[in-house]
Amino acid sequence: MSIRWTVGRLDGWTVTAALLLSHIPTVQLSAQQFSIGPQIAFGDYRETSAQLSYRGGGLGAKASVVWKKFSADVWLSKIRYKPSGGTATNEFDASEINVLVRYYVAGPFSAEVGYVNRKAEPEFEAQSMGAVTAGAQMAHLLGPGVRMRLNGGLMFGSKFSGGGSVSGLGAVRLGLGLTVDALRGRLRVTGDYDFQSLSRETDDGSGALSAPIQQSLGRIGLAIAF
Amino acid sequence: MMRGSICCLVAVPLVLPVLLSAQSIQNATLRRAQHAFDNLEYRQALGAAQASLRERLTGYERARAYELLAFTYSGMDSILKAVDAFKQVVLIEPERELDPNRTSPKALSAFQVALTQILVVRQLRVDSVDFIGGQGNVPIRYTVTQPSRVVTRVTGGPGGSMRIDSTVANGQVNIRWTARLPSGDPVPAGNYNIVVEASVGQNSFSTSQSMRVSHGRVDTLPHLTSLPGYTYLPETEIPPKSWRPMGLAFLYTGVALAGTSALSSGDLGSPSFREGAVIGLGIAAAGFVMTLKKPAPQPARGNILYNQLLREQIARRNAEIAQENVRRRQQVAVRVVPVARAGGGR
Repeated sequence: MSIRWTVGRLDGWTVTAALLLSHIPTVQLSAQQFSIGPQIAFGDYRETSAQLSYRGGGLGAKASVVWKKFSADVWLSKIRYKPSGGTATNEFDASEINVLVRYYVAGPFSAEVGYVNRKAEPEFEAQSMGAVTAGAQMAHLLGPGVRMRLNGGLMFGSKFSGGGSVSGLGAVRLGLGLTVDALRGRLRVTGDYDFQSLSRETDDGSGALSAPIQQSLGRIGLAIAF
Repeated sequence: MMRGSICCLVAVPLVLPVLLSAQSIQNATLRRAQHAFDNLEYRQALGAAQASLRERLTGYERARAYELLAFTYSGMDSILKAVDAFKQVVLIEPERELDPNRTSPKALSAFQVALTQILVVRQLRVDSVDFIGGQGNVPIRYTVTQPSRVVTRVTGGPGGSMRIDSTVANGQVNIRWTARLPSGDPVPAGNYNIVVEASVGQNSFSTSQSMRVSHGRVDTLPHLTSLPGYTYLPETEIPPKSWRPMGLAFLYTGVALAGTSALSSGDLGSPSFREGAVIGLGIAAAGFVMTLKKPAPQPARGNILYNQLLREQIARRNAEIAQENVRRRQQVAVRVVPVARAGGGR
């Protein structure tokens, strides 16, 4: 019970942050760079063993802001995962929020911290989870208006709706991103790849059992920049 | 016959200068003397010229009478008397010159000897000149015929008489007048006289030359928009095409896919590369396009610094020009022009 309450609290903070970011008037952002737009999401989800494998697609949205040396990305997505072979029989919806805040350090490198929360519906078909992430990003300008990034980090404090824990280095994430400016920077084509791997273990009194969770998520979309 | 021809040849140059100036002679005796000289009747010419000097003559006629005497004496080989007659001519007309191409050598030498035996200041000249007040001067030159103390003064204007030179001189003298008051300011506009006084013992002579001093504005300098010979360089340059964007795209994609493979859990089977491959393909395609695309202009640091230096140089030069123009607006352009000759000396 307490674990589910924690996930819900993190979810609330994320929604609050997203609302705040999305409700900042554009006039105040005139010295900044802000973009927001829809995305198509598609992913692969696996849990516990190769028999529980899902694939699916859905919709999402992405908001980005750049201010001085700081930048932040917020992703929202809802994917309907369907069994992909194995023993899984029921599909489920995964609503996910990703937040990453970065601080530019030097050269192509930035430090980043973030938060990820995924909620499964029906709740017993898959694990809902939340974690805080920390890592680094490397970004390069491929050409005028074309940027790509590669980021990675660890996920800390992971919480799962079905219980279990992850060791210190057992939860990692990896990301790859592309942004192409069009219409003099007013329109952006975005593409993001996010891979999460959590070496989760559970213990029902008979000893620790491995119950890993892994998700590959791709997102392609458009964004309007202000 | 031969002697008569020689006399004619000698007489022609002697006669010409007299003929040229005989038109304004009104005295009949002097005209008779001139006529006798023209006919090579030297004795009659001598008598008539001496008789005319006892009559009432104008200064011009008196000078012509002495000149006729001098040429007649020269023709008669009486050099000393010719010299004395030329001395009288010079005293009456100090600026008198004989044309060496039309005058006999005897008469010329007698004239030169006469010049050395009297004190005269001749050929006082003031050149026309324009200059900025305090930065130029007025060239003045004259010729004094004997070694003497020569004082040059400027008269006229509010300053009264200003001595500008005092020297012992003989022959041609060149001096310069700064056209400034004792306070250092340029002399006011107006008419001035240059007075040259020469004295030796009891003898003295002075002559003068009028001139007009006018003031004007000093031209100011235009500001610069560029330095001659130096042009601005383009501040951006297009770098050469590079495979770097494609290389980076493949590197990033490769790292992401390899990371996916390495980090995936073995218990969950082989990882899905579909999502990473879709995004990675997009990145690789973008890198390929950026490699083929004409690179965007990049700032040319060297050219930017060069243009900055050029702008600073022009700004510095314009600041100097502005200061110079401020100074020039406070200056006066002085123009000095000689006016009609004031006449002979005394």
